[in-house]
Amino acid sequence: MIMPSAHQWVEGETLVQHFESRGISRREFMEFCGEMAVILGIGSAATPRIAEAFEAAKRPSVIWLQLQECTGCVESVLRTESPTIGDLLLDVISLDYQHTLMAGAGAAVEKAKQAAMSANKGKYLLVVTGSVPLKEDGMYTVIGGRTAKTVLEEAASGAAAILALGACAHWGSVQAARPNPTGAVGVRDVIKNKPILNIAGCPPIGDVVTATVVHYLTFGRLPAVDGEGRPLFAYGKRIHDQCSRRAHFDAGQFVETFDDEGARKGWCLYEVGCKGPATFSPCPIFMWNDRTSWPIGAGHPCLGCTEPHFWDTMTPFYGRLPDVGGFPVEERADTIGLALAIGAAAGVAAHGAATVFTQIRRRRSTNQVPESTSEEESHNG
Amino acid sequence: MTTRVGALGGARDLFGRVQRVFARERGNFTWVYLWSAPIRAMHWIAAACILSLIATGFYIARPYFATSGEASAHFLMGRVRFVHFAAAAVLVMTGIVRAYWLMVGNQFERLPALFPVTGKNISNLVKTAGSYLTFRPDKQPNFVGHNPMQQWSYTAVYAMAVVTVVTGFTLYGQSAPGSVIFRAFSWLPPLLGGLQGIRVIHHLMTWAFILFIEMHVYFAIRSDYVERAGVVSSIITGGRYISIDHSYEDYDIAKVPSHPWPTGEYRAPGKSE
Repeated sequence: MIMPSAHQWVEGETLVQHFESRGISRREFMEFCGEMAVILGIGSAATPRIAEAFEAAKRPSVIWLQLQECTGCVESVLRTESPTIGDLLLDVISLDYQHTLMAGAGAAVEKAKQAAMSANKGKYLLVVTGSVPLKEDGMYTVIGGRTAKTVLEEAASGAAAILALGACAHWGSVQAARPNPTGAVGVRDVIKNKPILNIAGCPPIGDVVTATVVHYLTFGRLPAVDGEGRPLFAYGKRIHDQCSRRAHFDAGQFVETFDDEGARKGWCLYEVGCKGPATFSPCPIFMWNDRTSWPIGAGHPCLGCTEPHFWDTMTPFYGRLPDVGGFPVEERADTIGLALAIGAAAGVAAHGAATVFTQIRRRRSTNQVPESTSEEESHNG
Repeated sequence: MTTRVGALGGARDLFGRVQRVFARERGNFTWVYLWSAPIRAMHWIAAACILSLIATGFYIARPYFATSGEASAHFLMGRVRFVHFAAAAVLVMTGIVRAYWLMVGNQFERLPALFPVTGKNISNLVKTAGSYLTFRPDKQPNFVGHNPMQQWSYTAVYAMAVVTVVTGFTLYGQSAPGSVIFRAFSWLPPLLGGLQGIRVIHHLMTWAFILFIEMHVYFAIRSDYVERAGVVSSIITGGRYISIDHSYEDYDIAKVPSHPWPTGEYRAPGKSE
């Protein structure tokens, strides 16, 4: 049971002491540590090490910047029906600056942020949600009179590491979809000299963020990442290869429309445009809303939101293949391919016929009779 | 002419008439050896692989059969994917053998033969295209091996096969992140619009192969009928008959080597009794 409390995690207090003051039992705490060890893929044998690290952990300074975004990531990460220890952890560590959640406003909090940044220079963790618009000198997102780019560069300069949370901070998300009118880019396109971890997804799953923070607190560094800078413990496998409907894919059982028998029986959503085969995400395992369900579990194809540029590359969301550029929506790859194949078949038939007829005409005009004709007729006769 | 009954007889008559339009050449012929046994074997193995890859590929892209009942009783997509991947592996094997033969093959099989880039070749390419467009086979330059148009289309097919195999292996590697195949091709998706971009290229390549096969079969058979070039038999027996009264762009007829099999007088097909 987590007690709501005005008492915040303060300097000098360890994380375990703070948890105890909020009503979390030793058993609950150890269970949480074990769960985190499993999510991180380091095995439950690492549970004591995580617990030890937590017992010693002093409050880290975290600055949370929200740039060009919809606040959905904050909602996903911090708001659940019944708060877990993970939620509490995120709640208590993100105290220094979070402009949606903090009570203060205006110049006072900007001043507090400056104070926190200079006090913990080189040590604080920077969490970023939202993209950075670069066109028109960045005027599409201005916070406290300064552009998102300036705010980010200033905060990044003193950060130990950066968590780019969500698709916007990863690569720009919907505002970066073609034609990207504001020139939105992700954190990695602006900040080149700091370790950046991309917690991909639109929004990402809260557990991934919690586990990443646990990893950081336990080992003092960010977890191993893939080529996209996403933590491997969460984004190491495709949805398709972990999917609860995979057996139906292998068996050849597919939903063709959303109200057919296959849909009622929970068959594979491949034919209605599921992007699970192209998407690396832990959704099938971690699931959403306290492990209640997830999109494919609820009968909707995956949109591929953890992959860069998914608004451009994963659309149409209900079609298997992307549209071929420049053609109307209906003219898919297959229509074009079939038209060309029929065209080529007709073409070679016409070419063959034309060859025969021109040859006959030439023979006639030169009065040249194929010499084998008489022989062949006698042979046939 | 005797009257034949039935559709088959009618079809035979039609073929006979079409055949008679193109007069047989008379004169002295000799048999030249073009394609070594490994090349011919790889051609037909690759042909079988590509046909099964197309059939299974279209199933994977849009499953055209469905099963019903319990999923545990079926493994249709699994089997189709297995055939697709196995055929792809065999196709890669044929590619490796072909690549080796680019180095050790004869003048028609070696690497330089794939790229007819000299000025003479280009002008022959234009002449060949012209003869096809104007339906004048008699204006076509003579080649013992591939004419430049033919050769460029085959070189393009090798390139298409490389693109298809590379995109295919990129997709194949995704099921085992961190594996050798995954790592070998992980640089590719970011360049081509992610896995979906790879997937659409792989899919369009299938159609490109279908277009190629249509034209390849037509031109090969046409060449046999119209130019009497014997190209279809050359990919089976390894060689073809050429008239020693003609000159050839890619072969010095004066230096025709004596070949143990089967040289001698040319006999028109169908007259062998």
